[in-house]
Amino acid sequence: MNRGSAPPVRHGLARLAVAVLLCYAAVALGLGYWQGLQAQALTNDPGNPLVAALRDGPRGRILDARGTVLAQDVTVGGVRVRRYPHPAAEPAVGYWSPTLGSSGLEHTYDADLSGLAGTSPVDELLRKFGASTASPLDVVTSLDMRLQADAVKLLGKQKGAIVALDPTTGRVLALASTPSFDPDRVVAPGTGPAYMAGLSAPGNASPLLDRATQGLYTPGSVFKMVTAIAGIGSGAITGATTYPDQPGEERSGFVVDGFKVVDGHHDFTGDTALDFVQATEVSCNIYFAHVGLATGAGALRDWARRLGFEAAIPFDLPTAVSQVTSGGGPLDGFVDDVELANAAYGQGTTAVTPLQMALVAATIADGGTLMRPTLVDTVRSPDGTVVQHTEPQVWQQVLSGAQDAVLRAAMTGAVESAWGRPFAGSAAIPGVQTAGKTGTAQLGGSGEPHAWFIGFAPAAAPRIAVAVIIEQGGHGGEVAAPLGGQLMGDWLRLAP
Amino acid sequence: MIRPSLAGIHPRPRGRETTLLALAAAALLTGWVSLATTQAGRLSAGDPHLLVIYLVAAAVIHVLFVVTGRRTDQVLFPAVVLLGGISLLFMARLPPSLVTQDAGPAGILTLAPLQLVWLVLSLSTIGGLAILVRNDTWLRNYKYSWAAAGVTLLVLVFLFGDEVNGVRLTLRVGPLAGQPSELLKIILVVFLAGYLAENRALLAATSLRVGPLDLPPLAYLLPMLAMWGIALAVVVVQRDLGAALLFFAVFLGLLYVATQRTSFVALGLLLAAVGSVFLYAVEPTVQVRVAIWLDPFAQALGSGFQIVRGLYAFGRGGLLGTGLGAGLPSPDGTLAVPALATDYVFAGVAEELGAAGAIALIGLYLVIAERGLRIAARGADDFRALLAAGLTLVLVLQAALIMAGDLKLVPLTGVTLPFVAYGGSSLLGSGICVGLLMALSDAGVEAPAPPQALTRGERLRARGRGVAGRFERAVR
Repeated sequence: MNRGSAPPVRHGLARLAVAVLLCYAAVALGLGYWQGLQAQALTNDPGNPLVAALRDGPRGRILDARGTVLAQDVTVGGVRVRRYPHPAAEPAVGYWSPTLGSSGLEHTYDADLSGLAGTSPVDELLRKFGASTASPLDVVTSLDMRLQADAVKLLGKQKGAIVALDPTTGRVLALASTPSFDPDRVVAPGTGPAYMAGLSAPGNASPLLDRATQGLYTPGSVFKMVTAIAGIGSGAITGATTYPDQPGEERSGFVVDGFKVVDGHHDFTGDTALDFVQATEVSCNIYFAHVGLATGAGALRDWARRLGFEAAIPFDLPTAVSQVTSGGGPLDGFVDDVELANAAYGQGTTAVTPLQMALVAATIADGGTLMRPTLVDTVRSPDGTVVQHTEPQVWQQVLSGAQDAVLRAAMTGAVESAWGRPFAGSAAIPGVQTAGKTGTAQLGGSGEPHAWFIGFAPAAAPRIAVAVIIEQGGHGGEVAAPLGGQLMGDWLRLAP
Repeated sequence: MIRPSLAGIHPRPRGRETTLLALAAAALLTGWVSLATTQAGRLSAGDPHLLVIYLVAAAVIHVLFVVTGRRTDQVLFPAVVLLGGISLLFMARLPPSLVTQDAGPAGILTLAPLQLVWLVLSLSTIGGLAILVRNDTWLRNYKYSWAAAGVTLLVLVFLFGDEVNGVRLTLRVGPLAGQPSELLKIILVVFLAGYLAENRALLAATSLRVGPLDLPPLAYLLPMLAMWGIALAVVVVQRDLGAALLFFAVFLGLLYVATQRTSFVALGLLLAAVGSVFLYAVEPTVQVRVAIWLDPFAQALGSGFQIVRGLYAFGRGGLLGTGLGAGLPSPDGTLAVPALATDYVFAGVAEELGAAGAIALIGLYLVIAERGLRIAARGADDFRALLAAGLTLVLVLQAALIMAGDLKLVPLTGVTLPFVAYGGSSLLGSGICVGLLMALSDAGVEAPAPPQALTRGERLRARGRGVAGRFERAVR
């Protein structure tokens, strides 16, 4: 046997060992993928027999911030059924039906409510010795059912939405969308499917849609506050900026590339070249068209993005994406300067969710800081042990306090000043300095415009920020602003 | 050469093995208490007699190792004991009626007791081989006879094999039933080690250039093609994709170690690719396997059912697992994952022990790989080195293949997880591998004696091997 010419077996073995190691590393990575990254998704997969096995199992409660029960299991005639004592909390709380699926918080927090979610590693370790494989958890929301019911009552039979949040923490206090539905009837065995079919029938105003987070509306003048944040933030304007041609353009129209921006609703300002605060008070379209053009397309979109535009807002419920422009144009997405000028005062192809506009108000209220919006305070076991706690979290530092001061002054003036009062004065809370901005979004055609209001109170140390929209409700100052003022006033009384 | 008689046996302490076995026993006892506690809902040791029998068996074999004083590896056996123990815990946890067998006077045995019987037999096989095998000529000099035996086995399966679940694997002789491919893979390694050890110098040095390809000389290419043919035949005859893949992977691994020529391995992979395409074209079962591998969720209630259910089990386990006994192997009365005790035992263990436990399991196979390859590297000559490497590869590649299949990294194949999956043939086959590895690890095992003055005993034995010897010469 001639062994001289063959390389030593040893060397081959070393490389073989590396190959074996690589095979096993691949297996370990596979484990990490399925047991780490994909574990939750697999466990929540509707085809998982585990989910089916636990479908008949008990489910945790959903509570408001003060412990009011919004959803719970009750036993009726020996059968466990899901009950929703406060239909006014819909569609935020959602429904959960073994046959029709789930929505709202019932859907987002299904894993916690059914007890399938992984808890903290230590708790999980302790739980392994329990006989039950699932431990349903309670979900405590940041909603205050008193304010929530108030918001729904204020909306009444109109189609619309109200978002109210604490600007200093981002906690959502009320999330109303009308018309809504009765979750008890959705989950009722037997009659549920027929009721659901009726709800989703065309021409029924989409009661299942959560307008507050997923409705997209033309914003009209409330968008001027986004333009203002972009203008002040980018340095394109200051509080003292005036446009000398503006008084003249009030009469002749402001011609942008042949398109005429017209105003005509504040004749009493006469020949005064308005500064930023005055322009906000009287909601001057021509002034904000100038601001938009001075800021530029790229900067306007960039600052809007910092406020949450152009991406789904991370939230406990699904959110629609707000946009400054539908995009596709050569001018940073805008078709031309005409679209940019129109967008600057909230027309154009701009579309926003009520939640997004509430965040704009909250940012200005909170000194330029945007807190991440949250709807759930804690997830806890029935005995009260907190499993998951939501800490207030700064989402974006949009403006400095100094930059923000003039925006606050402008919104306060819009409600409280002599020039502003005719437009947004209906939002004023007696005895409290109130800040706000109305919007009346023209939809084209002959329909009534959307009525908008965003605001916060008290102006000096805000405890609540709101966004109100009434679909095709008319003028913002007449229809939406009174609701916003009323709701904020009620909150200051409820939570002194 | 005369082997020492009983009087010549010198006991030798095996401290490392003792310590490792004690640790394994402690881990398994803890596991048993954890399982019983979960099942009873309060602190309990349950009825531990199965585990106690198992641990006593392991201890007895360990004592025999000490008494006989062989200088064999001290890590392999504890690693196997731990793997087998985990298997026993898991089988004790599954519905007992999953497998039942009438054991005559012993009554009807259920899943866990049956697995215990096989585990003890497997450990005994390891013990027997590790203590008794002191000479490798019976493997070394009869490679073609072994190969012939292997082919015969294959033919027998083809002619008389029983089909279970569309796979023709089981051969029945009277009351005994077994899966010959478990034996076939060991025979294959013996043949390859012998063949490659003899010819590796030539294989490594010479070549036949055909265009860009650097081929082995034709005379040596033929056995390689034969191997390829056998692997294909295994698939076609037994419909056993896993065994075929394993055979071919072991073959390529050994070929590389022997020649260290990447061109041969590349050629082998090319052949494998051609074979795969061919099989995909002609075998509907292969097409289904590939389709459900790519997207099991498309057929979640049909052909992809098992894979999808397996993934659910992994997902349920998460990083730390549900805990022993707290998994849901049968949430609605039927088994959550089909073949949970055999093909999908890894998913079941990963559900209850989590990624942490599953990675520990992977670690145990890596320990076996490390010990096995180390034994190979220390091998007295090429045959022993290649034999040890081949036996190691059979174990660790098989484990990797089924674990990767469960995890949907490769198409699922029906190979078993060595020492953990339920099944007698697999446990015995794996036991033979480890037993031989341990025997090879003893530096004292003699190299073949020069062919001269035979003792009387050897003459007798040589006469018995006459037929095989003539066969060897004829083939050569």
